[in-house]
Amino acid sequence: MSKKLSQVLEETGLPLHFQACGVAPEEVVDREIKGEPCPRAKRLRALYYQTLSSATNEFPYWYTRAYMELDSEVPVVRRGLALRCAFSHLTPTIFPGELIVMGKAHYYRGSFPMPWLSEGYYMAKEDELYQAALEKGSASADEVSRFGTGGGNVTQSFGNVVSIAGKFGMRQEEVPAMLKVARAWVGKSVDDLGHKYEQMVPGYDIKEAIMKAVVCMFDSGYTLPQGREVTNYYYPLQYGFDGLVEMAREKKNQVAGKPGGDGMTGMNRLYNYEAVIHVLEGIQKWILNYAREARRLEASEKDPAQRKEYQDIAGCLEWIAHHPPRTFREALQLCWTIHVATLNEDAISGMSPGRLGQVLFPWFEQDIAAGRVTEAEVLELLECQRVKFTCLDCFASTGVVGGVLSGNTFNNLSLGGLTADGAPACNRLEELIIQAAINCVSTQPTLSVLYDDKLPEPFLLKAVACVKTGAGYPAFMNNRVAIEFLLSQYGAEGMSLPEARAVAIGGCLETSPCSWMPLTLNSTTYLIPGGSGQPTSVGVHFISLPKILELVLFDGVDQRTGIRVFSTHGKQLASYEELFEQVKAYFARAVEVLSLTNNIQHDIWRKNNMAIFNSLLKPDCLEVGHLINELGYRYNATHNVETCGTINLVNSLAALKKLVYTDRAVTLDELREALREDFGFKAAAEVGSYSLADQEKKEGGDRYDHIHHLCLTAPKYGNDDPYVDAILKEWEAWLCAMCHDYESLNAAPYYPCQISVSTHAPMGAATIATPDGRLAGTTFADASMSAYPGTDRNGPYALFTSATCWDHSRSQNSQLNFKIHPSAVQGVEGARKLLDLTRAYMRKGGFHIQYNIVDSKMLRDAQRIPEEYRDLVVRVAGFTQYWVEIGKPIQDEVIARTEYEGV
Amino acid sequence: MQPTFKMIDCRNFAPVDVAKGFCHVRKQMVLADGEACEFFEKLPKCKHCLHYLPAERDYLGVCGAVEARPLTYPDLIGVTCEWFAWRPAD
Repeated sequence: MSKKLSQVLEETGLPLHFQACGVAPEEVVDREIKGEPCPRAKRLRALYYQTLSSATNEFPYWYTRAYMELDSEVPVVRRGLALRCAFSHLTPTIFPGELIVMGKAHYYRGSFPMPWLSEGYYMAKEDELYQAALEKGSASADEVSRFGTGGGNVTQSFGNVVSIAGKFGMRQEEVPAMLKVARAWVGKSVDDLGHKYEQMVPGYDIKEAIMKAVVCMFDSGYTLPQGREVTNYYYPLQYGFDGLVEMAREKKNQVAGKPGGDGMTGMNRLYNYEAVIHVLEGIQKWILNYAREARRLEASEKDPAQRKEYQDIAGCLEWIAHHPPRTFREALQLCWTIHVATLNEDAISGMSPGRLGQVLFPWFEQDIAAGRVTEAEVLELLECQRVKFTCLDCFASTGVVGGVLSGNTFNNLSLGGLTADGAPACNRLEELIIQAAINCVSTQPTLSVLYDDKLPEPFLLKAVACVKTGAGYPAFMNNRVAIEFLLSQYGAEGMSLPEARAVAIGGCLETSPCSWMPLTLNSTTYLIPGGSGQPTSVGVHFISLPKILELVLFDGVDQRTGIRVFSTHGKQLASYEELFEQVKAYFARAVEVLSLTNNIQHDIWRKNNMAIFNSLLKPDCLEVGHLINELGYRYNATHNVETCGTINLVNSLAALKKLVYTDRAVTLDELREALREDFGFKAAAEVGSYSLADQEKKEGGDRYDHIHHLCLTAPKYGNDDPYVDAILKEWEAWLCAMCHDYESLNAAPYYPCQISVSTHAPMGAATIATPDGRLAGTTFADASMSAYPGTDRNGPYALFTSATCWDHSRSQNSQLNFKIHPSAVQGVEGARKLLDLTRAYMRKGGFHIQYNIVDSKMLRDAQRIPEEYRDLVVRVAGFTQYWVEIGKPIQDEVIARTEYEGV
Repeated sequence: MQPTFKMIDCRNFAPVDVAKGFCHVRKQMVLADGEACEFFEKLPKCKHCLHYLPAERDYLGVCGAVEARPLTYPDLIGVTCEWFAWRPAD
């Protein structure tokens, strides 16, 4: 039998420790805090557990039908009319027990494809254009991405149900029409048109090679062109939909025929307002269709209690379809409706509700004071809302939904932070939001605390109690660091310190620009926060840093595919400095090409597929008459360069520096050979595990044992070791500066975004062994500041010192995932320790930390018998996901993360 | 002979997912492809519409309600369609 790496290391006196600061108890320890949802939410969540991810052709059909009939219309009006048609024809479905209603589609967990972005899905098996597309890079990322096989994923076709992309089920009777609709978009979709023009970028062949070699995962222009931003509910909450339609009509009258001093885009304002009116009226019709369905159910319902609930639902919808909400429940329903409408307008992940507890506080405060609602009723509504959020699915390709998102949709609700004048912004409603998340553990919305030292201790301890459920939320983000980043990036667009304090997290942990808006309710005015920036995580999507290093070591040739990605550098790499400079040079070349091609894709997107509804929600589009495509948003400098595998790069550079250039214990050629031969191990896919410890030696694969041992024992990040930390510091200083050298299509500088989401699995799968001792095909270290599993041996504070050796405010984010055994944080004392730990990292200047409170033995058990763990959730990257819906590579990686037995 | 209808064709069927749904009358979960029961009430779909014209290929048709005669399909739900009209035989 083949030896596993863990055995090999044990024999050589270098045991792999995946536990730190103690030893875990032998028996499996469950999480200490377990909540119980209210009976209604419990039933609705139980229904979710039984529900398959289901796709329908309804929205695409009506959108396409209207769009294709309007081929001579002005583009923005054409899109507005198509959206109006699609929204107003969606079939309403209401399930018994629901208090908050409406969804993306008529299924409980429904979604639909958007072939106007990319029709490749539809073409998957029978269309010749898709066969040609297989030669395009996107297919490579799909090949190395994996979905989980359990939960609601429809991984295989059955009966009259067709599996699409290994996740979504579609009724067989809809599939032929779906293919017809898709064919209508061949040559017209953002994907196709963008591809046509991006090929005109000099060096485009490099981009193709980059995508095929999985140096980068995904173009953003046609996959998830929006999201990773904070939505803004203010305008419908303040003015109601009738008020907004009226406002747009008045504005239309004011601007018709007038350029307003802007000869380029001034005239467009008329068409923009016209499109806004069409979309608003379509959404009103959509809401009223649900109201009509509620009335129909009310009329036929025999149970008086259920009949009353249908009646209340109908009354609520009939009101909010036209007017600003009067009560907390109406406001909550309206926010949900706005949220779903935004998600239906475009393929979006990470449309975050922002500081929803502060947005809804006016209604909460006044309803509680007037006795219109009790806290128990609010809690029930919030738990029901959690189930609705959890039911959200995003329809995109296997590579995007599985490989990047792990099926998650990243609706991040922010808590805490400061008010415009610098006071703690948390409130009683936010405590109830946390309580609802404790009671009704589910994946959405995830929570983020905007940590500030001013936040009161009881509020922070409440958040810590929630962490101890093991749900992985809330994450803690450093409010000060976020504000410093915002002022640096958006100062040129006029952001002030009070405005920066409106910050919230979009998507996983994308620091997003927001604004305060004056909301008046019953003569009392409140400043409520909401998003005011474009999508903050578009542009150059994930670049694999270990793959860049691989290309440097092998003179520009990808070792997995044999493809030449970059032209030869022709260097001997005779010094560490020469090597590091070449890493930077190849990385910069990748960013250069990808920024140009992505600018083109996003430009095509905004020409034909611009956001109309999302735009009208964001300041200052309605005022100025320009939508996202004409920079109507208050903040537009939002494009980024995403990286993955930072710590594997840094550890590898440290190993190279020490072993090859300083100690000269091994030559570069010897190391190259060892890497190519995977240090004598079998392929990870053959072993069936993507965790380092489980990898098995080939028969007779001992030849590289010595080199591998040297690589594994080379200095590692996370131990307060200046040798490695200096490399991280130099890399970060360079990265954060170089991103500013590239110009987004909005004529603003890019910035770095350092989160892995789930890309560390597929990118690891596509990368050969690395000089830090990581084996081929295995997953990279998660996040950007997490240590590689088992390599942080000096305790959490040493890890924190390493992580904060650079200035986090120069990046949109950084990410540190931390796994703790439940026994390490038990009781009141354990909660305080966890808060102190968090506080320590924040005070050192760390941007983000989040916790998995889980016993790794339970995860192994769940991998063995998933059917007994349908409700088990874990924190993956910036999101929480059901264990059974995560692909095996990521499951292996979460199990392998260092488990802290004491803090 | 009367055509056999499925649960998925019923107005009282709330589709939970592609395989099953909730019957508002019987108050229980039922299979989408299960045979319709005594409480069956026909759901407006294109295949029951006066304006629906079947195409040569399965699962495809044409909407005759508008001049452009766009593509449609028999199982497209018509509860929100402004042109839907029951076919006399239905």
